[in-house]
Amino acid sequence: MNAAPSRLSHRTITQIGRYEAVDLHGIDKDLALTLYSQMLRLRRTEEALHREYHPAEEMRCPIHFCIGQEAVPAALSALVRPDDFMFSHHRSHGYYFAKGAPMRELFAEIYGRETGANGGKAGSQDISHSGSHFYSGAILAGAVSIAVGAAFGFQHAKTRQISISGFGEGATDEGAFWEAMNYSGKKRLPILFVIENNRYATFSDQLKRQAEDNIVERVTPFGVRATQIFGNDVALAWRTLHTEISRLREGDGPVLVEAYTYRWNSHVGPEDDSANAYRSGDEIAFWKTNCPIALFENKLRLQHWLNDDEKDAIEQEIAGEIAANFQFAKDSAFPTDTDWHRMTYEDASPLADALLGTAAGGNFDHYQADAKLGPY
Amino acid sequence: MARQLSYANAILEATDQAMALCDKVVVLGQLVDTQSGIFGTTTGLVTKYGTERVQDFPVAENLMTATAMGAALTGLRPVVCHQRLDFMIYSLDAITNWLALWRFKSNGKSAMPVTIRTIVGKGWGQGPQHSKSLHAWFAHLPGLRVAVPSTAYDIKGLLLESILGETPTIFVEGRGLYSMTDHVPEQPYRVRFGQAVVRRHGRDVTLVAIGSMVPIALRAATLLEKEGIDVEVLDPRTLTPLDRHSICQSVAKTRRLVVADPAWHSFGAAAEIITSVSEEIGDQLRAKPIRVTLPDSHTPMSMALEPRYYPADDDLVVALKQAVS
Ligand SMILES: Cc1ncc(C[n+]2csc(CCOP(=O)(O)OP(=O)(O)O)c2C)c(N)n1
Ligand SMILES: [Mg+2]
Repeated sequence: MNAAPSRLSHRTITQIGRYEAVDLHGIDKDLALTLYSQMLRLRRTEEALHREYHPAEEMRCPIHFCIGQEAVPAALSALVRPDDFMFSHHRSHGYYFAKGAPMRELFAEIYGRETGANGGKAGSQDISHSGSHFYSGAILAGAVSIAVGAAFGFQHAKTRQISISGFGEGATDEGAFWEAMNYSGKKRLPILFVIENNRYATFSDQLKRQAEDNIVERVTPFGVRATQIFGNDVALAWRTLHTEISRLREGDGPVLVEAYTYRWNSHVGPEDDSANAYRSGDEIAFWKTNCPIALFENKLRLQHWLNDDEKDAIEQEIAGEIAANFQFAKDSAFPTDTDWHRMTYEDASPLADALLGTAAGGNFDHYQADAKLGPY
Repeated sequence: MARQLSYANAILEATDQAMALCDKVVVLGQLVDTQSGIFGTTTGLVTKYGTERVQDFPVAENLMTATAMGAALTGLRPVVCHQRLDFMIYSLDAITNWLALWRFKSNGKSAMPVTIRTIVGKGWGQGPQHSKSLHAWFAHLPGLRVAVPSTAYDIKGLLLESILGETPTIFVEGRGLYSMTDHVPEQPYRVRFGQAVVRRHGRDVTLVAIGSMVPIALRAATLLEKEGIDVEVLDPRTLTPLDRHSICQSVAKTRRLVVADPAWHSFGAAAEIITSVSEEIGDQLRAKPIRVTLPDSHTPMSMALEPRYYPADDDLVVALKQAVS
């Protein structure tokens, strides 16, 4: 079996062996090279951060690396528009890039510098880039519900913008996720939920936490259209998301795409977490064999859309960008401002200033009785 | 006589005027689109502004708050209404982990102007799950403003200031205050956060009263006037920001302090106010400060116990006499 079965399950997915179903239908050379470069850029960035993390000891925040999970973010990057909003979770870097937020501000943020996307206040797992309408946060499912609110705003304003919420299968343990299904299904909100189902929430198998190892079958009764895909096939991811996003923009929402994929690294940080013995060697080997970048690269080479020289050129460009951004982060100043009040509160209220006047009060009569409460 | 409006109608008028002034204002909450309209505070808005701007919401308080937050990111100014504060507790994640720190975490680049209204029940057997006043919990969180208005005039001005402002704000409204009328000017006006008001001037003792304790405090002060004790009653109106300056100014004059807080005794707003005064001018106090609060216990349902649970005029009279003795 070299294609994915119609009903995906992490229990049986390794039976695919080597996945041979990459299909370029609907994808031209330009788009193919964009998808490929996006995946490679994300992979090389994560590898570089992973490599530098300890020797330098300058990235002092938790980082949840997403090596192995490049296909979905790359596909999204080719489909989202600047005015769409995207929300992600702790494993944020793929989505950050997908929304077009700048690498230099990501690096500087992780290094805790003033020039970071959030001036060093958020770090990798809480990063946001409001100019790109990208927001993340480390509390599972919290950002999923906020994404629902953005979709509410778009529906209210009758725009064609969409809200995209990317997260892992672990977040679907939370009640907040199911509240989001209920409401977005009822309201037919323009929202795309993307689940990267990598089987584990830290070291916990989905089947230790849930009765089934998929989400799609349980959300459709809520009125949420849902599809499963083999999430390491970037061409399939692009085609699926392309169709679903087009329908969303026409008002045909909400939709959930569940992409089966795998993280190669530990849950967090560069330290090895295999002592917890939560996943098998066979499983890891299957997913590395079906590396999203290698699968797509093979196809591009067979198609003669990519050769060694062209690949080298892409690699060099990415390496240059990464090196320059490490340098930028390291050269940037640390934040020094400790005006905690200003960081935390907005004192200005321009709209209230413009619209409201003042008016004198009178004397309050304190002999009035309390409201008499009824049964409710 | 100057124009009088009830507390509930002042809330309705503020919301109505905010919606008329700014088409980004939307109202969310369970049953906000019904005739009863959250005890009359949203009645008729749906007829005037339509179901797009006045939306009923599923019984999902966490999602409701988060929806308001996401909507605020797209430019809307949501007003979220809860029938009881106890129900709102489901939204603590949205409030604590996201709303309160959104501005901070974005490094000041992103704002969520969300106004959350919540009601504290008192009386008619509300019992332990319909009566909790957790204003101190919210006041403990950096990044939020917390309003505890006691009069119709104040709640109108504070609501307008909040709905058209930029900082997420929680209004803790005493259900018992809803029928009380006050002079409420017709035009839209603002009441600033962090500005306490002296409701009654006096020389002998400062009584800081929070929210639904304000009318009780004023009655106690009137009772003591007959005994020659001159009480200054101060209403902070908002807990965050807290007008520590005005409180200290009053205590610097009277040198005695009693705080009346319609919440539990320990770790509450009363403790914060007494501490703030002690830190600033503790050496000028002539008597030990006193807090008059609910006991550290949950609210009993029985009508026999309710009056013994909630502090009333005579409890304040006793405390004030002790402070001046
Ligand atoms: C509300 C909440 N509970 C617990 C955690 C701790 N935690 C951090 S990551 C994680 C697992 C997340 O798994 P999943 O959502 O599948 O994403 P993945 O890490 O696999 O990408 C957990 C439980 C958290 N961040 N938030
Ligand atoms: Mg997972």
